[in-house]
Amino acid sequence: MPGPVGPGELRRVAEAAFDLPGADGVEVLALHEWGGLTRFASSAIHQSTWREDTGVRVRVVAGGRVGVAATNDLSEGGAREAAASALEMAEVAAPDPLFPGLAPAAPVPEKRAFDEATAAATPKRRADMVAALVARIGEGFRAAGALETTGTEVALANTEGQFCYAPASQATLSTVVSGGEGGAGTAERTAVRLDEVDPEAVGDDAFRRARESQRPRHLAPGDYEVVLEPLAVATLAAFLGYIGFGGKAIEEGRSAFSGRAGERVAAESVTIRDDALVPGDPGLPFDFEGTPKQRVTLIDRGVFVSGVYDRRSAAQGGRASTGHGLPAPNPEGPFPLNLVLEPGDATLEQMIASTRRGLLVTRFHYSNVVHPIETTITGMTRDGTWLIEGGEVREPVKNLRFTQSILGALSAVELVGRDTTIASEFFFSASRVPALKIASFTFSGASDH
Amino acid sequence: MLEVAQRAVGAARRAGADYADARFGSDETESLTVRNQEMEGIDRSRSEGVGIRVLVNGRWGFAATARTDEAEVERTAALAVEIARAAARLPMEPVRLAEAEPVRATWATPVQEDPFAVALDEKVALLMETSRRAQAVAGVAFAEANLDLFRRRTFFASSEGSAIEQTVVHSGAGMEVTAIREGEVQRRSFPNSFRGHIRAAGYEHIRAIPLTEEAERIGSEAVALLSAKDCPSGETALVLDSSQVILQMHESVGHAVELDRVFGMEEAYAGTSFLRPEDRGRLRYGSDKVTIVADARLPGGLGTFGYDDEGVPAQRVVLIEDGIFQSFISGRDTAAMLGLRSTGAMRADGWANLPLIRMTNIDLEPGEGTLAEIIADTRDGIFMDTNQSWSIDDKRVNFQFGCEIAWRIKDGRLTEMYRNPNYTGITTEFWGSCDAVGGAEDWTVWGTPNCGKGQPGQVARVGHAAPPARFRNVRVGVR
Repeated sequence: MPGPVGPGELRRVAEAAFDLPGADGVEVLALHEWGGLTRFASSAIHQSTWREDTGVRVRVVAGGRVGVAATNDLSEGGAREAAASALEMAEVAAPDPLFPGLAPAAPVPEKRAFDEATAAATPKRRADMVAALVARIGEGFRAAGALETTGTEVALANTEGQFCYAPASQATLSTVVSGGEGGAGTAERTAVRLDEVDPEAVGDDAFRRARESQRPRHLAPGDYEVVLEPLAVATLAAFLGYIGFGGKAIEEGRSAFSGRAGERVAAESVTIRDDALVPGDPGLPFDFEGTPKQRVTLIDRGVFVSGVYDRRSAAQGGRASTGHGLPAPNPEGPFPLNLVLEPGDATLEQMIASTRRGLLVTRFHYSNVVHPIETTITGMTRDGTWLIEGGEVREPVKNLRFTQSILGALSAVELVGRDTTIASEFFFSASRVPALKIASFTFSGASDH
Repeated sequence: MLEVAQRAVGAARRAGADYADARFGSDETESLTVRNQEMEGIDRSRSEGVGIRVLVNGRWGFAATARTDEAEVERTAALAVEIARAAARLPMEPVRLAEAEPVRATWATPVQEDPFAVALDEKVALLMETSRRAQAVAGVAFAEANLDLFRRRTFFASSEGSAIEQTVVHSGAGMEVTAIREGEVQRRSFPNSFRGHIRAAGYEHIRAIPLTEEAERIGSEAVALLSAKDCPSGETALVLDSSQVILQMHESVGHAVELDRVFGMEEAYAGTSFLRPEDRGRLRYGSDKVTIVADARLPGGLGTFGYDDEGVPAQRVVLIEDGIFQSFISGRDTAAMLGLRSTGAMRADGWANLPLIRMTNIDLEPGEGTLAEIIADTRDGIFMDTNQSWSIDDKRVNFQFGCEIAWRIKDGRLTEMYRNPNYTGITTEFWGSCDAVGGAEDWTVWGTPNCGKGQPGQVARVGHAAPPARFRNVRVGVR
């Protein structure tokens, strides 16, 4: 298996692009990623893959104009060729009056998020772990899912003297267990180190949920109290990040948070931060412009504080970048990639006990935006939804469609869980969130399973 | 580059593969985005590498690398075999491949004008003028225009003797206008949302899109939406424009007929399907107005090619005929599980990914009448245009879509404009309620370049063609 090529090699390749006559500034993002994925369905391994790829993305500034070119040829020649192409693009581009220049040299916070054994995990080790998970699944049920182990190296160099480099590893094991007389359960675990992923625990959790969700009955849609488990909360957090917390959307008046700094937007028990620097969690210590990552408090005890910014949106708002730039060009602007919803002190059992008539939701599926300013999204429940009555879980119910304002839900939070989990809604981001008990949540439709 | 693929196949066979295929791929993109007459993005990208797929004792392995020197290809081929052998730890029924004749061929998208050769300043000027005209409408906050080009060269070789070179070219452009007032944001796009109208074609397609001509109308509609009422809630006749019909088909037909989903292979991620193998020829999927095909030979479709990524020739497959479900889309391994031949739907997101069953071009066959005639034939209902959002459950049963704009239809005429329109339904009930399918006059080939599936996640560029259509008793205005 290949390992990291190291900062020296990435810097050598990146700096080959710097000598570019006609350019006022050059920025190079160099990437190296590798890893394997073992995929299983019907309790057997059916698709397993491995890949190694590289990338050189060059942003060139010339006379206030900006061009970008990318190649996966990680060599000095590749970098020089991409730089020349980017300059050609810049020369025909209109000037960008909002372009604030490249990031200045600045120290980057220390973060250790690389485990060599994880990045070098073999197909056999992944297969053994999948087999350990499947062994926990009882007769009449089947497991599907994937175990992925990856290594990445990211380096950013620019002609302002900034250079930063970070290696990272990640292991994610997820499964859906189904079968019996209808019903399914899911569980997943994401960690920097594969050693921290316990396949038997993941299998046990998903199988328990599958058993407890057998023979679901139809429940009429309507407004219900809900206890959302962390996977479901992660969907709300990620969509709020996508449509609300980006600095560009805020400055342009397209966000629910535009002009609302200091206003109450959620219950007092809700505090949301973006923090890529949590030890042991995924997240880079700098952004894709080379700006050091800051911990940003987005909602503090229910009050909106600030969004996240890259250099261009920061210039729009007359403020400083928070280190949330994405790879150029990025017309969408910045997004928070490492949301943290602060835990409270409630156990899941306490949340259920406090529910008179409501639903316990494991996770949501295929959610999408209905109204960005109202932060309304729609999606389906999946892999375990139960009716709670009189403070007890009564019976599983068939999947329901929700159509709900996220801020409306966060304003109705009654209890916040004490335990948090990392969960990913979008492939590029991961949130650390607890379970939430919410007073009212709108279910607008139902499915047949 | 065919030699790299052939060398990879040879290396895999020497490492112990019973069957091997390899794709050397080279992808190029060019993308321009102008917003309020400022350049928001202009970039090119290129990616090359080789992906090697093997069968060892009936188990798949796949490995891919960006480095294509001889030693690296040799090492990657051996790794693919090691991965396949590791699958024996938890084996499935051994894979059998449906018969497919070896092919030696070259194929390319018909292109009149190489889009990559058109001068950059000409492209920038088109987008600048589009943005300027839309921005000139009072009340427009943002006027964005964009242009996207894509070229994929694939060199495929297999241990059965196939050797195929293909070049696929896609070109597209569009605009998106945003109006903002008092906490309301409204958006209108042209010709379609999510970066416009993309087709398998050269720059001649972009020249034919009336971007500058339509900019003022689109800007005016975005501003008018700010003052429009929200779409009312209730059950009504629903007329959908062609671009929304294709997304309805994509989600509630195209994905549902993927045979790997039916066999549970996608269960943990994208989900399964409500369809079963025994439903073929029996299940009523829609009304007798509904005939839907998967046609990988459709001129202009993003799912049009000569051969899929297993080397199987492009085909036209009838999925639903006069409302009755007829066929799945499949690859060689899944087709063999039903004793069938592949429908030629195995496609990979570039060289770095394993081919999966993906839609080619899923098309609703034309009926009769224009959009105007369908509206004229509707006494009371709602017309919705241009997709804004989509959501469907893990078996493709319960769906909800949002559109950018709607109008009330009263006595055969469009009357009041509505904002934030959406509708919801159950797949077979919805298609069963289809009582009008437009004719060839308004039958349009669209591109959906952002279809996600698989683990690791893959994005497919798929095509669709459809006319406008009408559905009865649909629940709209979901809150």
